[in-house]
Formats: sequence, C-alpha cells, structure tokens
Amino acid sequence: MAYLIVVYDVEADRTSKFLKYLRQYLVHVQNSVFEGELTAGQAVDVENTLEEMLEPGESVMVYQMAGESYVERSVYGEDPMDDQQFL
Amino acid sequence: MTENYHVFSDGRLERHNDTVRLVTEDDEKKYLPVENAEAVFLHGQIDFNTRLVSFLNDHGVAVHIFGWNDYYAGSVMPERGQTSGRTVTEQVRAYDDPEHRRQLARKFIRASIHNMRANVSYYDNRDHDFGSVITRLDTQQERLEPGLEINELMGVEATARRAYYSTFDDILPDGFVFGGREYNPPKNEVNSLISFGNSLVYANVVSAIRATALDPAISFLHEPGDRRYSLSLDIADIFKPLLADRVIFRLVNRQQVDMGDFEERLNGCLLTESGREAYLKEFEQMLDQTVEHPRLNRKVSYQHLLRVEVYKLKKHLLTGEEYAPFERWW
Repeated sequence: MAYLIVVYDVEADRTSKFLKYLRQYLVHVQNSVFEGELTAGQAVDVENTLEEMLEPGESVMVYQMAGESYVERSVYGEDPMDDQQFL
Repeated sequence: MTENYHVFSDGRLERHNDTVRLVTEDDEKKYLPVENAEAVFLHGQIDFNTRLVSFLNDHGVAVHIFGWNDYYAGSVMPERGQTSGRTVTEQVRAYDDPEHRRQLARKFIRASIHNMRANVSYYDNRDHDFGSVITRLDTQQERLEPGLEINELMGVEATARRAYYSTFDDILPDGFVFGGREYNPPKNEVNSLISFGNSLVYANVVSAIRATALDPAISFLHEPGDRRYSLSLDIADIFKPLLADRVIFRLVNRQQVDMGDFEERLNGCLLTESGREAYLKEFEQMLDQTVEHPRLNRKVSYQHLLRVEVYKLKKHLLTGEEYAPFERWW
C-alpha cells in the first residue's frame, strides 16, 4: 500500500484536467491538493500519468508514505478526509 | 480496490468525468475515487442508470443495496472478470461428492465454533465466568465426527451458536436484553444489531468471492438455493464472531449506541439511521484493522482475510491442497 499526497501547480485553464484525473484515485482535500491510499502499483500509474500530463513550466509534487499509519496528520478546521467512506 | 463506500443520503449516483459522483437532494456533489473502491453500499434512496452500472462493471465495483430500513435487498455484481469453467466444475464436483461436501461443511463449522470460542474466552478472562459455555462449545466441537450428515452438522452448529449467544446478555450492559436469536424481523435491540452486522459480513464476503472464479451460489454447508449466494453464507459464518459481534460489544459497551438508536416498527425493532451509521463506522474500522499473518508473513487487514479465505477454498478445490479455514490465531 502507499499513502499519497499530490500537489500540483499548473496553468489555470489546465487545472480541471488534473482535477478530473486525480478524482478517479484520490480525495480532493484542498485546491490543487489530493490525498489518499492506493496500492503500490496504482501509485506508480498515477505518477507516470501525471508526469506525461505536464507541460513546460508546470510541476507536480508527490509525497509518498508506506501506508496511512505512517502519516501523522493534524488538521485544523474542516477535514475533507473525515468520514470519506460515508456519504 | 480497498474501500467500501456507504451512501446514506438520498439522491443520484452517476458517472461523471470517469469517476463516480453522488448528487444529493440538496444538490451537493461528492466524488468517490472509483479506482480505490471495492464496493458501494446504498442505504438511502438512490437513483442510478445503466451508464453507471456499466462503468462500475468495468472497474469491478459491486453495489450492495440495502432497502427499506436497511434490510439487505441484493447486489448488483460486476460481470465476473474471472471466469473459469474448471473452477466451477470442481466446485460442483465437491458439492456432489457427499464425503467431500461433509468434510468442507465440518471445516466451516469447526472454524465457526473456534472463532465463537475466541470471543467467549476473551470475556471469560475479564470478570465473566463463561467456563460452562466454553465446555459446551468444546463438546459440540468434539461431536464433529466424519459420519455426520449435513443436517446433523447444522444441528451441531446451531447448538454451539445458541451456547455462544447465551453469553451476550452477560457481556452487554443492563438494559440491552437479548434473550435469544430472533429475526425476520428482529424483536429487540441486540437482535437488530446482529441482523445488521451479519448482513454486512455477508455482503463483504460476496465482494470477496466475486474476485475469484468461484460460483457464489454453490455452497457446501448451506444448501444451494435459488436466490441467495449461499457460498457467502458458508464463509460469513466463520467471520461473524470476529467482525459483526465484536463491533456490537464495542459499540454498546462504550455507549456509542444506546436505546435512542432504535425504533419499534412492524412488530420488530430496527436501528435508526444514526444507529446504522455508528455501527458502520465501527465496522469499517474493524475491516481496516490489521494482523500479522503467520503464513503470508506480513500484515493483512481483516477485510483481506476474507479474500484470503476465498482463495484458499478455491485452491483446495483446484489442487486438492488441504483447506484450513480461518481460525483466529491471536
């Protein structure tokens, strides 16, 4: 398993492309920030696809942990990950 | 494919931008990452269309539908990605060979009793005296002789489960009166918790079976019926004490669920929506809990244990390797 935090900085008119793609895998926690747990294989797919989507001057950062239990996460205010499984 | 998603709101579930989106009645939009979904459980009034069903099918995501008052109403299963005539043939052969069928049925029961016993002895060590119940469970365990017919095996299972359930009134705090298992409809709070928990274990096993080529309708202990996925009933029995019952003890003993979370309806007692949500949150946490697996040599989640169980059974049917059902080892 892998716990991912993905942060992207791309041209304004291209953010929706990244938003749309990442929503298939992770949870949208803030503007241009996604996080969530994936299998190691999925994490590789996501990183490769993101790299291919980039244009000059844009960047994506991926922070990867071995699993959710390795993240010490403090949230102040509302947490979009709260009860994510319950809609 | 790891998470179960539970939809309580009323609204519409749809395919949107290559993932799944919930649009609630108040027009709030929420996204489910489809690549990360194992199954979607619908508890509210939800509309969906064929476009969504095909999409979920492509991604191997099951939909389990809980109807009015959260009675399990059925599943929309993805067309099985795994199809193997050989597996199904071997499964039917094992069912059709009385000796083989009884052997598997005995194993399911032995494991069920073992796992019930694990719960009882946990509380026996904590200011309860369940020595006589443990003896009764052990007696049933010893009765599992190779000569017993399926209906006799069922009788052993029922007697053991009755002994097991007799501890519930002691384990649960005052006010929660159990008095024996009753369903259709459940007559009291404890029975409605058990019914709800059991249906969730059942649905999760259905998802696990789906990942293999095993046919969910061909079973060994339970008689294959016309409607139910009876193989799931066989396997769910083994896991009910670990998953469903421990969630009940936790919730009630920690007062996360109280009398206000139930309502009397149609001569029965049912969980309210808040009660169901409380149960499900604890249940999903239980599924995510991990344990060091001695044979796989790594940590696996309880949810993954369900998968492992189905794989073991399949391997047994295909290769003849002995099937050792899940017996709690910790």
